[in-house]
Amino acid sequence: MKSKVLILLLTIPFFVYAQNKLSKQHQTQALNCKTCHSCDIPTKENPCIKPCPRERLITIEQTPEDAPAVLTIDKLKKQSDIYAPVVFTHRLHSEMAEIGGGCGMCHHYNPPGNVVACSECHDEERKRIDLSKPDLKGAYHQQCINCHRGWSRKVECESCHAQNDSVKKATKTTEKGTEKKRVHPKVKPPEIVKYDTPKTKGKVVTFNHVDHVNTFSVSCNKCHSNESCNKCHAKYKQVSISSRSANEKHTSCSNCHNVKVNCSYCHKNTVAAPFNHKTRTGFDLDKNHSKLACVRCHVEKGKFTGLKTDCSTCHGTWTKENFKHSVTGLLLDEVHADFECKDCHQENNYSNITCKNCHEDITYPKDKPGKMIKNRQTLAK
Amino acid sequence: MAKQSRRDFFKTTALIGSATVGLANSAKASQKNALSEDRAGVLVDTSVCIGCRKCEWACKTVNNLPTDPLEVYQDRGVFKKHRRPNDKALTVVNEYPNTTSEKFPINVKVQCMHCDKPTCLSACIVGAFSKNENGSVVWDTHKCIGCRYCMVACPFQIPAFEYEEALKPDIKKCDFCFERTAKGKIPGCVEICPVEAITYGRREDLLEAAKEKIKNYPNRYVNRIFGEHEVGGTSWLYLSNRQFEELAFPKLGKDPAPGVSEAIQHGIFAYFVPPVALYALLGGVMWLNKNKKHTDAENES
Ligand code: SF4
Ligand code: SF4
Repeated sequence: MKSKVLILLLTIPFFVYAQNKLSKQHQTQALNCKTCHSCDIPTKENPCIKPCPRERLITIEQTPEDAPAVLTIDKLKKQSDIYAPVVFTHRLHSEMAEIGGGCGMCHHYNPPGNVVACSECHDEERKRIDLSKPDLKGAYHQQCINCHRGWSRKVECESCHAQNDSVKKATKTTEKGTEKKRVHPKVKPPEIVKYDTPKTKGKVVTFNHVDHVNTFSVSCNKCHSNESCNKCHAKYKQVSISSRSANEKHTSCSNCHNVKVNCSYCHKNTVAAPFNHKTRTGFDLDKNHSKLACVRCHVEKGKFTGLKTDCSTCHGTWTKENFKHSVTGLLLDEVHADFECKDCHQENNYSNITCKNCHEDITYPKDKPGKMIKNRQTLAK
Repeated sequence: MAKQSRRDFFKTTALIGSATVGLANSAKASQKNALSEDRAGVLVDTSVCIGCRKCEWACKTVNNLPTDPLEVYQDRGVFKKHRRPNDKALTVVNEYPNTTSEKFPINVKVQCMHCDKPTCLSACIVGAFSKNENGSVVWDTHKCIGCRYCMVACPFQIPAFEYEEALKPDIKKCDFCFERTAKGKIPGCVEICPVEAITYGRREDLLEAAKEKIKNYPNRYVNRIFGEHEVGGTSWLYLSNRQFEELAFPKLGKDPAPGVSEAIQHGIFAYFVPPVALYALLGGVMWLNKNKKHTDAENES
């Protein structure tokens, strides 16, 4: 009994040590150990990582620009190979993936930090113990062929590999230099997309693409995920939009909009004008607010109505003590700096400025209660 | 020199000895063969196979069968017809349309299933077939009398007969690359498959992996592993995203298919042919023994 206690006491520091050894990011993840590990005490030697699917665990902070431009996949190179290693245009593929499922399309398991190499999980030996996931050769090919096959409807080895014994080899290796320059050209997004729907009332849905990207800061892959190259490069005819079910057609919108109620919000009889905060809500997003993301003010998720137009709604109450007037670009002179805000600003939104309280013959902005400065800062909340 | 011959002699005796034991076993129509817990199998995932037919080429190459160059196998025109393995191709890949995604037709590799309770073995009247501990069902050319019972008996119609071979026709079928696996290699078809649609390993482990796949991707697979129970279980197992019947898999029960001639074999041959063979082999051992002794004596003198 005594020895058991002793063993227990001796092992506790080990667990604590093991826990501490986790990377910082690993610790901050709100994850259950069992999401990834099958055993109770994963160690470096035996991490007992669970096989895929681990979709919940894809964190890739890197962008295509951080990634290597070209990779030669020669991990499995053998003398007896029929085909030469693949020169893989990684940058080009990651750019293409941006409009598909992102980096996670291939890097389907990736905890925060460095990008995990395929060979970390997929065994280089085909004869192996762990049969739960394909070996490295299988993993590479499954990953590539699934897209290429959809694209070309062929499974020709030569579209990626040069044959080892032929002259083709020479041409393929010299291509390596030029591959570096191959990047996917910037996709020119449409300004608006007009959909003619089968609805009799509210036939037209105008999707303002610019607004969604610029004004509402919707990231591309929020809508464009799992899109195949075929969508733009119509090598084979895509399924036309009309053959999709009503539900499918609404999925992109329903991420943000409640499509179950208020159809007329999107379904109109004519093409809708672009979004304008002033005409829609009465609050002008002047130069002070135009750059802000919607959620800076509309903090309640999915709710964009009900905010008052008073500055104090977001900024709190300003007083002469807590408000540095110079941020507006006007540095008040000594006399005016002593006044209460409401002596000049009588409305809650501080827009109309009056001098009438003290002066009879003076008007703003012709006359100024101080001097204009260039070095104005933005108004923080 | 003397040493050399002695060692050779021991080798020969051991070989003959084991052959005799093997014969005695198969003579009892070894349905009772202990099926090793560690016996190998292959899991074919038809949803992963891309129909590249590399396995067809590799199979011919490792089995020394005449073959076209590898490039020729890229021709998908052959898929217009459904083919069967035969004496010239021990494995073939067929194609079936995919109704939900026409871009990705379904390809199915066909070869001997290496049943746990092989009907060919039960049907063979001379015990030319044996089920090995490693899972393979192999055929012995020296014992075969060409009766072709096995062809009729096989629920998957696999054994093929070399009709074109006039002098010494053989029965041909996939032998699970018996020689390769005995040397620790993996079957030729498994080795070449670019996408690892065919996974080689312990049958038990493969079943576990297959069940895990079905659990993780319930929308991708039908909830069935073909070969887990069919005709008493087979070494080759299949996963599919279609009902197996749609992919020309035979409808089979869980019981091993009955052997056509099992009764005959048990009744007559089990007590007749093998003793003869045994005596012949023992005679051989004695003869070799005598000969080698001779040489040894000569060398020593
Ligand atoms: S196991 Fe060997 S003999 Fe059987 S199909 Fe594969 S390569 Fe051919
Ligand atoms: S080599 Fe693999 S992918 Fe190709 S046809 Fe054979 S089983 Fe299918």
